[in-house]
Amino acid sequence: MCPDSNQEPSRPDGKVKQRRGAAQCFRDIDLPLARVWTYYFGIGGGMDEVSLDAYLHEALDIPSAQMDLVATALTELTRPMEGDRP
Amino acid sequence: MRSKDRGLMAQDTKLTTADRMQDLLLESSGFSEFLLGLATVSAAALANKGTIWCTITVERNGGPITFAASSAEGLRLDERQYALKDGPCLTAVRQQRLVSIPDLRSEERWSDSLQAALDEGVRSVLALPVPAGAQVRAGLSCYAGTAGAFDEESVALMEQHVASMSRVLQIALRLHRADRHPEHLRDALKSRAAVDAAVSLLMLQSRSGRDGALDVLHTAAKSTNRRLQDIADDIMQGIELPAGNRNGGQGVPGQ
Repeated sequence: MCPDSNQEPSRPDGKVKQRRGAAQCFRDIDLPLARVWTYYFGIGGGMDEVSLDAYLHEALDIPSAQMDLVATALTELTRPMEGDRP
Repeated sequence: MRSKDRGLMAQDTKLTTADRMQDLLLESSGFSEFLLGLATVSAAALANKGTIWCTITVERNGGPITFAASSAEGLRLDERQYALKDGPCLTAVRQQRLVSIPDLRSEERWSDSLQAALDEGVRSVLALPVPAGAQVRAGLSCYAGTAGAFDEESVALMEQHVASMSRVLQIALRLHRADRHPEHLRDALKSRAAVDAAVSLLMLQSRSGRDGALDVLHTAAKSTNRRLQDIADDIMQGIELPAGNRNGGQGVPGQ
């Protein structure tokens, strides 16, 4: 199951957990990287696709704001949200 | 009388066909539009052979099949072959070899699809493979209303033509890789515009940085289980965020 973005990224262990959660989620959801990047870009993401790829494979640390956006993108891509049309 | 466009194309010589293909690459907004242009340029290259329809078929590994045709008849013929899973154009694409049928009435292979072609008024067919890289199979089919329309000269011309087409097609396939889901790209651009506008407004209002403004959006979306784009839309419409969401959820009332 994909994590929500409630981890506290300002604590170092929170950051590691959030990164691991995002990587786990990316493995589980079976969406192409391009789809995730496009969505992440759509909600204001500022990293290139290669950096996102590295982050989702736990190979890169990224700023907290970007971590939150990745988490939001993964959440919105995988869960029904309030206000979605049925 | 020919339309203005066709007249312009007929003026093009062999030498400028490659240039026209490159122009298509630069001017087409999507892969389908690019293929359509290629089909039209191909038909124009054979304009002195009478009425010719050209179709282009691109099969991507694990991806959709894309057709483009210089005329509606051509499109129907290619689709028919795919429905029948058989035909000269499909053979050229799948086996990557040239197929020439000078007269459909004396051809014994592909009887079902050729009958459909005869019904559309086609008498001769030339189908050529277009090399397009490891993951892609492509072909160009030319249909003519007269028997023996494709003589040696036109076969040679079209072989040259597909060689130039091959390079341009491979570039186009890379350029338009994401074209498989154009709706996702459009959605993302629309969403990004809304988010950027809301971020700018939040930054102006609170004289904060971009990350702080994104955090406001992120926190509001998370706490209401709504999409970040919807929150951004609300902000642009002047709808107040739930209490405690301004200033990154620090609990300070907004504005």
